[in-house]
Amino acid sequence: MNGRREEEVGLLVVGGGPAGLVAAELAARHGLTVLLVDERATFGGQIYRQPGPGFVVRDPRRVGRDYWAGVALVEAARGAGVELRARTAVLSLRGTTAVCLTEGDEHVTLLRARRVLVAPGASDRPVPFPGWTLPGVVTAGGAQALVKASRVAPGTRVAFAGSGPLALAFPAQLRHLGVNVVLALEAGPAPRAPTVARLVVAGWGNAALLRDALTYRARLLGARVPLRYGRIVVRAEGEDRVEAVVHAAADADWRAIPDSEERLEVDTLCVGYGFVPSTELLRLAGCQFGYDENLGGLVVEVDAWQRTNVEGVLAAGDGTGVRGALVAMAQARLAALGAAADLGAVSRARAARLARPVRRQLAAKERFRRALLPLYAVGPGIYELATPETVVCRCEEVTLARLEEAMEATVDTDALKSYTRAGMGLCQGRSCQPQIGAVLARRTGAASEAGSLLDGANEARRPVPRLSGGQLAALAGTTPRPPVRPAAIGVLADDTVPDRGLFVGG
Amino acid sequence: MDERASAESGTCVDAAREPGAGVLLPRRSDLSGEVPTDTDVVIVGGGLAGCALAYFLATQGVELAVLERAELNREASGTNAGSFHFQIAIHQLTGAGADADRDRLLADVRLLVRAAAMWRDLERELRADLGVHVTGGLMVAETPEQLQILVTKQRIERDGGLDTEVLTGAELRNFAPYLAEDLAGASYCATEGYANPLLAAPAFAARAFEAGAAVRTYAPVERIEQLQDAGAARFAVHHARGKVRAHRVVNAAGAWAHELARGNGFELPLRAEGLHMNVTEPRDRLLVPLIQHIGRRLTLKQSSNGTFIVGGGWPARAEPWPARPSVRWSSVAGNAAVARRVVPALADVRVIHTWAGVWAASKDLLPVVGESARVPGYFTCVVPTGFTLGPLMASLLAGQMTGTSATLPSEYSPDRAPTLARGGARQGGPS
Repeated sequence: MNGRREEEVGLLVVGGGPAGLVAAELAARHGLTVLLVDERATFGGQIYRQPGPGFVVRDPRRVGRDYWAGVALVEAARGAGVELRARTAVLSLRGTTAVCLTEGDEHVTLLRARRVLVAPGASDRPVPFPGWTLPGVVTAGGAQALVKASRVAPGTRVAFAGSGPLALAFPAQLRHLGVNVVLALEAGPAPRAPTVARLVVAGWGNAALLRDALTYRARLLGARVPLRYGRIVVRAEGEDRVEAVVHAAADADWRAIPDSEERLEVDTLCVGYGFVPSTELLRLAGCQFGYDENLGGLVVEVDAWQRTNVEGVLAAGDGTGVRGALVAMAQARLAALGAAADLGAVSRARAARLARPVRRQLAAKERFRRALLPLYAVGPGIYELATPETVVCRCEEVTLARLEEAMEATVDTDALKSYTRAGMGLCQGRSCQPQIGAVLARRTGAASEAGSLLDGANEARRPVPRLSGGQLAALAGTTPRPPVRPAAIGVLADDTVPDRGLFVGG
Repeated sequence: MDERASAESGTCVDAAREPGAGVLLPRRSDLSGEVPTDTDVVIVGGGLAGCALAYFLATQGVELAVLERAELNREASGTNAGSFHFQIAIHQLTGAGADADRDRLLADVRLLVRAAAMWRDLERELRADLGVHVTGGLMVAETPEQLQILVTKQRIERDGGLDTEVLTGAELRNFAPYLAEDLAGASYCATEGYANPLLAAPAFAARAFEAGAAVRTYAPVERIEQLQDAGAARFAVHHARGKVRAHRVVNAAGAWAHELARGNGFELPLRAEGLHMNVTEPRDRLLVPLIQHIGRRLTLKQSSNGTFIVGGGWPARAEPWPARPSVRWSSVAGNAAVARRVVPALADVRVIHTWAGVWAASKDLLPVVGESARVPGYFTCVVPTGFTLGPLMASLLAGQMTGTSATLPSEYSPDRAPTLARGGARQGGPS
């Protein structure tokens, strides 16, 4: 009854955001057969997210620049001959063979590709604080998706708390769409003259970014939204849903300064402390990782052509460290050129020549990013907001107190997971691992240097001194397993797999 | 149990109040203590067998150390599904039929009845929550031939003292409406159930520690040196943190036991196998008993938190330690197919996770427990169906080592030929 479909393709691109779309288009233009899959209903990723099915754009001016950028990328990819497959999740990746599932299909598809580019993007950095699980507390990405895909405002009195170069984009966009934003908090310091001067120098070639940042700021100020720098949310209050946000002044490490708390009544709290790369597929594939909190934590290691250490598997975009759409698209070009060269579709020399301006562009972006770090470096205090009663693992409802008790028994992340069930639920640890990692790092201190750290070649348990740090150990510590997305037994079931049965001796 | 365990002692951690009040874990600070340099017994391996043996020996006053190379309970002991299958694994036999193996099956049943009694009492004995649930268990048959085996099996179980019954037709439909309607029948054993495999070995370790056992983690054993003319100490166990002299050693290294034994010049009738499990999202209660299949690879239960845990001996790809075995997609798909065949309502339940663990397989699936005649003082304690039988085998071995109970049957001997065939072994599927 059930079998599985098998397909072959030159390049499989996983993820239909800016990186995936650009890579797919370029690879197709160089003659590769390209299939691009995305688990969402529309393409464009988070930044260029298109309205959901059923929406018709009647007034092009009102949907914003990002919408049109997305349309252009999708059309370009389609025009180059890329096959775009929406609502298709990759459940498993081993080598360059992927198990995919398209929503509504009765069985999975086994995709054998010659190259796989993983461009999974990023998700909101999960930051547990008292009240973070209350209804009405939403992530910036979640609120943005709500507005972009469904055109629904998240609330009527909205406070925003977050940080990062693009943090102010969220409240500005919300405000622009008519949402009543009553407060915007930025954890980092207000820009000061020397930093701004450095930004202008480093920002040479990054005019668009600077312009956007200034526009967002101006929009908020123009709309008289109180914009407060150096402040973080310390808790959300409310019975059945959020009724108030309590915020405090933060020191350079983002630790709340005593006696600086203020309280404001809101019906929605939107939290956006940056993004973390989606690593599950790359970890499952066995890729090697490094660690950089400012890039979102675990970041996959790639060479000059975006190739990971796993033969045939490439990575690009925010999933390799959060640097934004422009960098993502530049990386995507390198990946497409690299894959095309590896498969003989373009000569090495030509690929190198075509890559040269892209590399210059990337270098400029990287200088800019580094210049911004003093403003937006993520402070360790972000993972110290949870109190003992705070639920850290939402799926299994595990509090910080229970985790800390279990840490009396073990600091091994797999063992910790088995003792507490933290990370065993539906999200498989995506929302609790950074916090658990930080708590483990604090507890073990220098001892964590010798702890078990991630090794891409095999799933997390071999010491790799280069990647020292308790957080990395914790983030990487649990063993990645398929399916990367939940899938029904009836869809996974394959009656054609031989069951050798149990009578084997006779 | 809750208050007892948490109020109990300063050496244990009450990690999970809800669910699992009274969970008992050894403290990291204790596990990282000094390794003694002289002792009576050194147990190599901190799985269920090693920790249980440490408990039974230490509570009888034996001085001992457990040396575990990494964390306690992280391999087969902690990566199985935690089910107790007391119905005899008749399908492990040859096609020769149950009657041909009657004597051995009777012995099996009597052992399983003892294991059932031990598990029933273990939470009280250890004063800890082990997540024991007595749910009953069904073994289903798809064909008339399989049903006939269930009937034969039931008679042997009755003679051995295990209560089971065979259900068919409307009776089965009424008792287990979630089963596919066209199944031929099922046998039911009311005493089957499961415990939490993540909690059993740590609880044994914590109580063993209280009784004076030196349980130590991150102390990998490099070799076991046999000493000549050294008085009471017949062995020097070299480990990463030093050397401990011992009168007796116990190889409780599970799926790596045969590798350890090779260092002392003998082969154990064991090999390492990878084993696959599927875990689903939680759902409202659909079924209470464990379900396994007499002829196909399926074990399945709905755990206390509502998730379905589906396994049954599907293979996983072995990887060299310290990597865990990796998942084969064919096992995900094949296991899902049998599960849907037997319980059709599972079709729309989503798998959220899989896991792959190892298990120590013996060709005959019998325990490898006892002293080696080749190296006096060298014991082995490895149990292929280790979760169900591990604690019982550990207590029997402890009885033999302290001279308080009879010696173990020769068919468990570590010295038996590695190729000893007891019909064909089931392809994986310890429990």
